[in-house]
Amino acid sequence: MSDVFGISVSALQAFQAAISVTSNNVANASTPGYDRERVNLTEGAPQSNGVASIGSGVVVSGISRSFSQAAANQLNTSQSALGQLTALQNYSTQIDNLFGTTIGGLSTSLQSFYNAFSDVANAPASTASRQALLGKAQSVASSFQNASSELNSLNTDVNSRISADVTQINSITSAISTLNKQIVVGIAQNGGQAPNELVDQRDQLVSNLSQLVGISTTMDSNGALNVFVGNGQALVVQGQTTALTTVPNQFNASQLEISTSALNGNEISSSITSGDLGGLLTARTEVINPALNQLGQVAAALSQTVNSQQADGLDLKGQFGAAIFSVGTPQATASSGNTDATAASVSVTNVGALTADSYVLSYQAGAYSLTRASDGSNVPVTGAGTAGNPLSAEGISIVLSATPAAGDRFLVQPTATAAASLKVVLADPSKIAAAGAVQASASNSNTGASIISGGATLDPTNPSLLNPATIAFSNATTYSINGGANQTYTDGGNIDFNGWRVQISGAPAGGDVFTVKSNAGATGDNRNALAGASAQSVGVLANGTATITGAVSALITGLGSQAQQINTAQAAQAAVNTQALTSVQSVTGVNLDEEAASLLQWQQAYQAAAQALAIGNSLFATLIHSVNGTSG
Amino acid sequence: MRVTQNSNQALFLTTIQTLESDLSQTQNQITSNKSFTTASQNPTAAGAVNNYNQALAQSQQYDTNANSAQTRLSTEDTTLSQVQTQLQSLRDLALEANNSTLSSQDRAAIATQATQIQNSLLALANTQDGNGEYLFGGFVTQSPPYTLSAAGAAYHGDQGQRQVQIAAGQTITDSDNGNAVFEQIKTGNGTFAASAASSNTGTGVLGVASLSNGAQYAAGNGIYAINFTAPGTYDVRDSTNALISTGSYTDGGTISFAGAQVTLSGQPATGDSFAVAPSGNQSLFTTVQNLVAALQPGANTSASTAQLNNSIASALNNIDRALEQMSNVRADIGGRLNSITTQQSVSGSQQIQLQANISTLQSLDYAGAITTLTQQNTTLSAALQAYSLTQGLSLFKYL
Repeated sequence: MSDVFGISVSALQAFQAAISVTSNNVANASTPGYDRERVNLTEGAPQSNGVASIGSGVVVSGISRSFSQAAANQLNTSQSALGQLTALQNYSTQIDNLFGTTIGGLSTSLQSFYNAFSDVANAPASTASRQALLGKAQSVASSFQNASSELNSLNTDVNSRISADVTQINSITSAISTLNKQIVVGIAQNGGQAPNELVDQRDQLVSNLSQLVGISTTMDSNGALNVFVGNGQALVVQGQTTALTTVPNQFNASQLEISTSALNGNEISSSITSGDLGGLLTARTEVINPALNQLGQVAAALSQTVNSQQADGLDLKGQFGAAIFSVGTPQATASSGNTDATAASVSVTNVGALTADSYVLSYQAGAYSLTRASDGSNVPVTGAGTAGNPLSAEGISIVLSATPAAGDRFLVQPTATAAASLKVVLADPSKIAAAGAVQASASNSNTGASIISGGATLDPTNPSLLNPATIAFSNATTYSINGGANQTYTDGGNIDFNGWRVQISGAPAGGDVFTVKSNAGATGDNRNALAGASAQSVGVLANGTATITGAVSALITGLGSQAQQINTAQAAQAAVNTQALTSVQSVTGVNLDEEAASLLQWQQAYQAAAQALAIGNSLFATLIHSVNGTSG
Repeated sequence: MRVTQNSNQALFLTTIQTLESDLSQTQNQITSNKSFTTASQNPTAAGAVNNYNQALAQSQQYDTNANSAQTRLSTEDTTLSQVQTQLQSLRDLALEANNSTLSSQDRAAIATQATQIQNSLLALANTQDGNGEYLFGGFVTQSPPYTLSAAGAAYHGDQGQRQVQIAAGQTITDSDNGNAVFEQIKTGNGTFAASAASSNTGTGVLGVASLSNGAQYAAGNGIYAINFTAPGTYDVRDSTNALISTGSYTDGGTISFAGAQVTLSGQPATGDSFAVAPSGNQSLFTTVQNLVAALQPGANTSASTAQLNNSIASALNNIDRALEQMSNVRADIGGRLNSITTQQSVSGSQQIQLQANISTLQSLDYAGAITTLTQQNTTLSAALQAYSLTQGLSLFKYL
């Protein structure tokens, strides 16, 4: 008889436990990181009555969580990839929107600037048109500055988000290490049974961590979880954490890089490629900085071409034109790891060959080598790095203040700051060089039928450029310049002298005289302004194949494509992530209908067990009654 | 597959967000009438639209340039037509002064009128354009190109010819300098000019001078003197004093030599000479100045009358050359104005084409967009409906 009571009570206890576990599932249906739990029931030890053995009821042997490590790992990897793309998308979208407005504005203001040159050409002596040109130049400079300051503010934003991510990562890893300790103790106390709640929490923290940075994990036999980042730098080992830290970039202290407290300041940024942190680093190196460089490349080319056109002509006062724009000198920064104080200075020697790349110059074993910062590819470089024989490559030349120490490195950024530093340095509208430098004319007493071109500047630095010169024909086929050697006349051929060029065409006669002299005072001359206006159709960049306005269009297309590509990749990864999430949920999630069915099942089982107890009771009562009746 | 309420919920939210984002983008396209609002939506088209916009702005600037050139050329044309009128009046005055019956007072009155014409011509040559720049100064446009002194009008401009760009690769000269218009006018008949020596004592007056054989004239050295060696007899010598021909003079007859022929009337005296030289360039103002000087009252002898007649004849020749010059320059201006008009219509159609290109790339296909909007709307409301239906399903309701 006692069996009935024992079995029933064990069943009542087991079913109560099962109802508790089910209720707990229902209660935590929406708790992040909660893994559905199941009660494990085992038969009680059988009791033998000599003939057969009868079960002794049911016992709760454990409560297990439904969990798939493979699905969880898959989700974590997917979350890291999604985190990276989402961070990247955040910046590429901002640039995309920025380039819809600011760069569209830049394009418009560039066009207005060139048009203003035409207006000066239409009325070269008009101060109003000259003032308007300076105004347009100012708006071009502002557009470049705005675009670059918006990009720079994105870089600042990247820095602050890197710091925030690192702080958050460190607080998560320290929580993981604490849980590690508790879980190890818990397993020991529960006889190998892990405390489910703590493991749930730890898995949830790992999942959160994987959104911030790509990680790998290993499980120790005592139940502790180790977390690694990058190329295997440990963040959590058992109960110990290594803090992730930020260090200034060796070349640019304003850019934060990633390191760990165990690495002595060495950065591991390049190995952090996924998670939000990876996305931030990628956004900086692949989206923001290249955009700044490309913008700077256009700004440098604009400044150079406009200024050199100015130098070719004369202003209203008869002086050579002053520069309209200035760009800051290109950047060359020494690594903070350099062992001496050697400084490098860079200048742009050929805008056509200039690229939008940054370079790393290193000095090793007595030789310089230049590599492209973006992909590390080698760039051929010539020269010795001295002022007399500078290092030159891809339109830039580099001079070092002294021979660097072995292992010294320098970051060379020819265009990174050009857009930000583009300024209008001309305030006096009369100093716009609308006129050509020289003017050629034919003597009215010439008897031949020939004409001379107006005279173009070839070399504005020639000191004799403005000196008067006379081209005298001794006969129809021979001329001399300033009484010099006789030269043979070619119809329409170039005649170059003192840094200018003219063409005489037609049939000159002996005794004909042409003069070329300074154009000072020719305030109505618009030849140089005309050349300034048509410069927009002249290829400058990429070895003369791309116009400045064309380069802006190409920039818009390039950045748009990049944003489009990132958007597509992000959307694809989001879909992958949803899949991973669903597959994790299908194992670990709580289905309320399922739990309702379980509740019913346990309730009925409980009722049945209680009924069994009642029957046992009544059997016992019957027995008592019959014993009493016999004796009485 | 085992599905949980949680994952259902999350999936639903993601889907709804995607649908709403798509819907918002379509809505944005419709309200802005653009098929793309950021470069990432269509990078190639965004770059191309930027290029087309630049080309459009450039083309519109060419129109501005062409209008500016048109204004300046029209001003120049009007000015030169007034110059022609003035020259015509001067020519009429010269013919009137050539009448031997005129008293010296009458002639003085004509001289006064000629001076006035000289001043008008000077004012015309100093015409300014709308920007206050002197039209005929070449590149020297801030000060009057012509000033008058006792020696005549002097040109202070240069030979600059200002160009403006009216199309890609096409520039047009928007004015002519005074040197080309007023200074480089050939004298005489354009090939050579005949003149009487100022020391002549007879009454020989030069008439028409023309080429009878251009090739023959060009072959010679061009400079000849007709010397009267005796009354009724002349010889013609070239610049090396070589004798070219001799002849006997008939009043009003033609003297021909070396491809040139001149008519001479009156009675040249022995020792009188007439020179023939290749036409040089002479300023319009020199021509006018010479005429005004010749009309000033002088001795009333037959020789001085002949001298006056010769001066007037020479002036008439030079005025004719000047009139021809004005016609040529005006014809040239007409040609340039024509090119501008042609270019304006070309650029008009170019601009329409560019705008069409921009519109093709950028403008929204409304029918398509609205269809898409409707579809997206339907999908979204279906999704919401599905959610509200499935959310009601729970076994707990039936317990």
